[in-house]
Amino acid sequence: MNKEEILIKAGKEYFYSGNDEFDKGRHNSAVVLYFKALVSFSDLYVLQKTGNTPSSHTDRFKITKEKFPEVYNLLDKDFPFYQSSYVQIMSKELAEVIKDDAKIMAEKTNTKL
Amino acid sequence: MMQKLWLKKPTLNYNKDVLDIVQFGSSVEDGKTPEDIDIAVIFNKIPLKEQLDGAQEIKRQLETLLEIPIHINSFDFYSLFDSSNFAKESILFYGKSIIHGDDFAKRFGFSPRIQIYYSLEKLKKKDKIRFNYMLNGRGGEYGLFREHKGKLLKPGLIEINPEFENIFVGSIKEFKVDFKVRRVLLG
Repeated sequence: MNKEEILIKAGKEYFYSGNDEFDKGRHNSAVVLYFKALVSFSDLYVLQKTGNTPSSHTDRFKITKEKFPEVYNLLDKDFPFYQSSYVQIMSKELAEVIKDDAKIMAEKTNTKL
Repeated sequence: MMQKLWLKKPTLNYNKDVLDIVQFGSSVEDGKTPEDIDIAVIFNKIPLKEQLDGAQEIKRQLETLLEIPIHINSFDFYSLFDSSNFAKESILFYGKSIIHGDDFAKRFGFSPRIQIYYSLEKLKKKDKIRFNYMLNGRGGEYGLFREHKGKLLKPGLIEINPEFENIFVGSIKEFKVDFKVRRVLLG
């Protein structure tokens, strides 16, 4: 598998696992998984546009802030919830917002969910 | 210091559903060097997605004014007071409205104050005098009261604004006296 195939597989897996957790009412788990899907699809987008993938969250934020502000905005908006999912109760509404953002990035990368 | 946004009341564009923009955390406390700025945007009850997008817009504007990272949180009154919001006491008690340039608690009709009860019983006479100088100043030098708008309510009880808690507590600790801090909202 090449990098693109790995990112597509990982993103889809996180997204569908997010759906499973969401359907069970486990919104903290769903938020984490939808965010991971969002990151996979964001990395895929960066790969498609630049030929490279970010090596860390810091790198990811730096690259997207400089080159793809619309992607950065999604990551920057949702990342604090991923960070606080260990210690806070996540709502159904929040899980839906992050799910939608993951879908936006899937569409931008022509990934069918 | 630029991080005292609430004192500068910067002009920001935000939509009509924003009730207040509140700075809280270490950046509003004197005597601390914050590594980031915590901001809470308080919204009317609107969909979460609109809250998050609105908060991001505000964050983008604030980032042009600051050199350190901003952590922005969005709330409506339900989520602000929800038991899962561990930051609610900090926002309500220590929070400063960037829109109004004043305590956020004043939006609810309260003035937050720190009351420090202390006892000088164990101190030697010379240290009691030094303690008094620390609070009231000496020989034309400002003491903590004049410098930070504190006042002595009665012997052994100081009242100050929340942002100066760290400075007063730090200074009192140096004397190794017994003291107790109470946070009160005055109506």
